[in-house]
Amino acid sequence: MNRRTILKLLGAVPVSWWLGRASAQTAATVKFSELYGRVTVRGVEYSSKLKALSGQKVTMSGYMAPPLKPKLDFFVLTREPMATCPFCTTAADWPADIVLVIMPDGKELEPSVRGLTVTGRLDIGVKKDDETGFVSLVRLYADRVQSA
Amino acid sequence: MKRILMTALLLSASASAAKLQVYPYDGAQFVPGQHFDLRVEAEDVRDFKDAVITLNGQAVTGLVKTTTKDTSVEWTVRAQSLGVGTHTLSVTFTDAGGPVTKIAKWTVAATRPEGFQSLFYKPKARNVILFIADGLGWNTVNAAKLVAYPYNPANGTPTGKLAMETGLSSMATVTTSSFDSALADSANTASSIATGQKIQVNALNVYPDNTADTLDNPRVETITAMLKRSMGKSVGLVSSAFGTDATPAAFASYTRRRGDYQAIADQYFNGDVKPDVLLIGGSRDFIPSTSPGSRRKDTTDWIDGSQKLGYQFVSTRTELNAATGSKLFGLFNIDNIPSYLDRAQYKGKETLGDFTDMPFLWDSTKKAVETLDKNPNGFFLMVEAGMVDKYEHPLDWQRAVWDVLELDKAVAWAKEYAKTHPDTLILVTADHAHSLSVYGGYDATKGPGKREAVGTYEKAGFPTYGDQRDANGFPVPETSRTYAVGFAATPDYCETYLGRPQFLDPTVSNGKTGAEAGFVPNPKICGEGAVQRVGNLDPASAQGVHTADPLPLFAFGPGAENFSGVIDQTEIFFGIARAMGLDARTNK
Repeated sequence: MNRRTILKLLGAVPVSWWLGRASAQTAATVKFSELYGRVTVRGVEYSSKLKALSGQKVTMSGYMAPPLKPKLDFFVLTREPMATCPFCTTAADWPADIVLVIMPDGKELEPSVRGLTVTGRLDIGVKKDDETGFVSLVRLYADRVQSA
Repeated sequence: MKRILMTALLLSASASAAKLQVYPYDGAQFVPGQHFDLRVEAEDVRDFKDAVITLNGQAVTGLVKTTTKDTSVEWTVRAQSLGVGTHTLSVTFTDAGGPVTKIAKWTVAATRPEGFQSLFYKPKARNVILFIADGLGWNTVNAAKLVAYPYNPANGTPTGKLAMETGLSSMATVTTSSFDSALADSANTASSIATGQKIQVNALNVYPDNTADTLDNPRVETITAMLKRSMGKSVGLVSSAFGTDATPAAFASYTRRRGDYQAIADQYFNGDVKPDVLLIGGSRDFIPSTSPGSRRKDTTDWIDGSQKLGYQFVSTRTELNAATGSKLFGLFNIDNIPSYLDRAQYKGKETLGDFTDMPFLWDSTKKAVETLDKNPNGFFLMVEAGMVDKYEHPLDWQRAVWDVLELDKAVAWAKEYAKTHPDTLILVTADHAHSLSVYGGYDATKGPGKREAVGTYEKAGFPTYGDQRDANGFPVPETSRTYAVGFAATPDYCETYLGRPQFLDPTVSNGKTGAEAGFVPNPKICGEGAVQRVGNLDPASAQGVHTADPLPLFAFGPGAENFSGVIDQTEIFFGIARAMGLDARTNK
């Protein structure tokens, strides 16, 4: 299957094969504005909602930040569509409220400019990706990624 | 005969096989006693034999020889300095290709009278306040004036001027360039002001070298380090950008890569400047990696660490205004301090978050001066309006221009201070320009994004800025007749001719990677009702870029005569040195 075919598949049936894996439990919806409690010069505090939902299944909607590579086993979800690739620049021009989305093993996604809705397990805390050096504060281990 | 000639040609070709680089570069200028690292690099070396390195005919001592690669040889000696005069470094290098010679001439001009006359010499300026608005080309100054001082519609006369344009002692137009480019970035331009050298794009106060380590490059001592070392002056740095950004960093750090944020943060506290006052944004580089939001890779905590070094730490406008310490460290945001419009007018929760008590540039300028003024030897203060550039890049001219007005109010305060402290030289300039231009009027009642609402010449009429003003006396951007303002260098984007309370990037990713990666106009902005403009930059560009346009320099007070006419940016360094009588041959 070449890249174009996958793209068509994704467009027509948005990642439907993950749908079956998503359990029947209702995932809580988290908005970007609900990620953090206080942000001070000493750092970021997670919101009580985020702390309560850590480890549980949640749904978030946003946009894919400019991607690093043509097929994605991870990407950054942002509140607004963005021009900045968080992986490509060292500058702090990208917002603090970004969420790292990690795709299930063996599942990859095509880059997209459409709005996306991600359902997956929420994980919080400072974590550095050894491969890219990217430091994330909020992660979603995705079960399902759909066009919003 | 022909064969002999060919042999000779071949010999001379092979004789120049090894490539020699000498830093400081040929043509470099210094003030007396300014420290610099001398480095000679030979590349494409085959079978190295020997090298003779002389300064003014004498062998250079203390050189450390290294071989970074199998095909290179380098010599380094750090912290050299020179007296007044012209100096010649000569390198004769010999390897299997034969000898190669390279000459570098350096000039050291006197900054105050030498000999008998020095007995009667008193420096003109004891203090210097240097305002740098990042990206403040002439056109941006003009746009700010047109907004703040609208024309009188009854007779077309101007209703006023900016503080930075009023009561000048002198004025210059400044040209910019980099060591390796006709176009400049904030790192090399601020470094040119700080050291008098031409510096590479992305580098801070260092010359190039052939090693991968960005922190080991040959350094040139900054004016701030010299003023501390040789005259015992205090140094203050203020910026509305994140504090490890290029402009403040250029006055206290050294690196080949301006993105070495952690190293820059460390150099503020253990480098050769150690500013007495540091009031900035961007706490993420000063808090330990264990704090969510930190950008550090270690557990160093400069908020705690600075207090152990005797700094008073402040993080809000209220705390800043109440501060009484003799050394101040202020962090007012985890990242950049948002624009004046966001802080004073829009006050959007999504923009400000929990940072609802951030100082204005005039607050920071005033407190910095009051703190530094305690030193009887005088002070050097650099104040950066760092966000002007950060909003010009994404073509948000309103946020950029209102930040110029914020700076202007800080300049007005400094001019008042100088009335009672007449030994204070005030300079207002920029690091580089952007292509902002006011080209018409805009009937906002017909907008947004109606091309027919752009009026030129007399159809532009007079904009109505100033019909409403905020608590600081600044006009509000929303009014019925505004200016049509645009940029020459742009990506594809949608023009609405109006601003918005929530900042939006002009472009978004096209979702592609590799060679196809590019940017398209932000659909949210296009949806506001907009004229779609075809850009003129590479489709991979997300925003506007710096230009080679000239910059203004406004000078007030003693030593201002050192700044006049059309000057290169490096001359700002020498002008300040002459005004303050900086001679770095002695240590205080």
